[in-house]
Amino acid sequence: MMNPKTKVLKQFTDINRLLSWFIILRWIACFGVFIALLTVFFSLKYDIPFLNLYILNSILFLLNLFFTVYFFVLKKKILSRQEMNVLFHVQVICDYILLFLLIFFTGYLENPFIYFFVFHIMLTAFIFSRRVVIFYLSVLLVAFISVTFAEYFSLLPHFGLYPVSQQAYHDLTPVRAFGLISTLVITGYLSTSIKSRIEQRGKSVEVELNRYKSLDKIKSNFILQVTHEIRGPIAALKGFIEMVLKRITGEIPDKTDEILRKANRRIDNLLTIIDEMIDYAYMKSEEDAKYISQEINLREIIDYNIDLFTARARDRKMKFSVNCYNDIVLTSNRDLLNIILGNLISNSIKYSREGGTISIIAEQKNAMVHITVQDEGIGILPEEMDKIFEEFYRTQRARKIERDGTGLGLSIIKRAVEALGGSISVYSEQDRGTSFHIYHPCKRGEVESNID
Amino acid sequence: MDKQKILIIDDDEDILETVGALLSHEGYEIHSADTVEKGKAMIDEVSPDLVLLDVMFPEKKTRGFEAAGEIKEKNPELPIFVFTAINREYAFDFNKDDICAEEFINKPVETDKLVALIKNYI
Repeated sequence: MMNPKTKVLKQFTDINRLLSWFIILRWIACFGVFIALLTVFFSLKYDIPFLNLYILNSILFLLNLFFTVYFFVLKKKILSRQEMNVLFHVQVICDYILLFLLIFFTGYLENPFIYFFVFHIMLTAFIFSRRVVIFYLSVLLVAFISVTFAEYFSLLPHFGLYPVSQQAYHDLTPVRAFGLISTLVITGYLSTSIKSRIEQRGKSVEVELNRYKSLDKIKSNFILQVTHEIRGPIAALKGFIEMVLKRITGEIPDKTDEILRKANRRIDNLLTIIDEMIDYAYMKSEEDAKYISQEINLREIIDYNIDLFTARARDRKMKFSVNCYNDIVLTSNRDLLNIILGNLISNSIKYSREGGTISIIAEQKNAMVHITVQDEGIGILPEEMDKIFEEFYRTQRARKIERDGTGLGLSIIKRAVEALGGSISVYSEQDRGTSFHIYHPCKRGEVESNID
Repeated sequence: MDKQKILIIDDDEDILETVGALLSHEGYEIHSADTVEKGKAMIDEVSPDLVLLDVMFPEKKTRGFEAAGEIKEKNPELPIFVFTAINREYAFDFNKDDICAEEFINKPVETDKLVALIKNYI
């Protein structure tokens, strides 16, 4: 889940990226101007004040050197909100002034590069609010109009690119100025509008995300409630049946005993199904990576799960064989391991003939633990192998053996294994047995969990 | 020898009845309370040898976990079994290891297993 802290951090890194980008762009601009000046100096016959321009470019160079050192070296890209704001404003002001002067000395309205102001306005709109953009744009327009008037009435000198056609420049000034000003105003308007649209969309995405998160919370609570509301009454129901079966309420006929045992078995099935559905719902909503990692002794958790099924295995005259060192410790999640082992063992019992053996083997190989759950059961047909991990899929023969079932067990196991950063594979021989192989990393390093 | 006393605290009366009957069938003296407050009062009154404590109560879904801590504070020696219909830790914001209880069991609980567990403590 993204908490407020990470969100602020994210915004900051976005702004950081923007700052880095600006500084890099400015280096490119500085280099570009330098190359352009060299080219003009050596090849073209423009009469422009090179000295002024080199000085301006040097100022740009020094300024950007300052920004670079300040941002990358001194502050190591970590700035307070205040500092960032100041840095942005200083950069924007410097950029406007320098571009203005560069253009002024190279023909002013004559110079096609005057339209580079479009980029400046777009970038300004990118960083600042509409009001700030309007401010900068107004100042720029006032500067343009003043300088244009001053040039037009010869109050300021004109540094023309073509000395011969100055009369034409003079006559065309109003049109050029109007073209430029309207371009800049439209750029400002479009950029700020597009930006606000993007922002609005971002906001609605955020609203959606929050809604989704609260729905997820409701879902978790719902799971808790449903588990309690269903498992609670079933517990009482089983208690009552057990009371009767234990003859606490008096003697009962054999037939009643038999029927109550059947009822009990069916209730157990129901419990399994409820657990599967709940696990499934939980796994589906698992975006929060809230599985707590803890050190778990593998042998203990295997024994715990076998213990849960001893009664059922005894009913079917089945045996367990465990081969696992006592000292294998996993960084894992207990619920998920229980889901995996419990489901696999329960499957092995269900889909085996009476009297078989279920082997659980665990061995550590480097950073992985390989857990095998092997049975001597009915096996899986080769053509069904691809589908067994699919949600709600039940094999033909599984259906024959047990009517109740969600077909969720293996898909839940797969999700659980993957949530733990592991993998699962299956080998099966028809009528000989099936073995499931789980590869679980000893440390849950690879697993994204508890990000916050 | 006197019968060993077990106190069951659960808001579900049917659970009180069934678990109570099954355990008393096993030879324990059973006392039951349907709220945490009543249960805490009964600990002083009957001084049970073991407490079976539900987790979810109408007032709060994790009341039992808190209650376990409260009981332990007053009676550090008294074994507490927390039992709940919820069989997944993820459903709670609690880590099993943080709960002041000797055992953590799920409903429905098989009486044989429960008795075997109880015998480990009393």
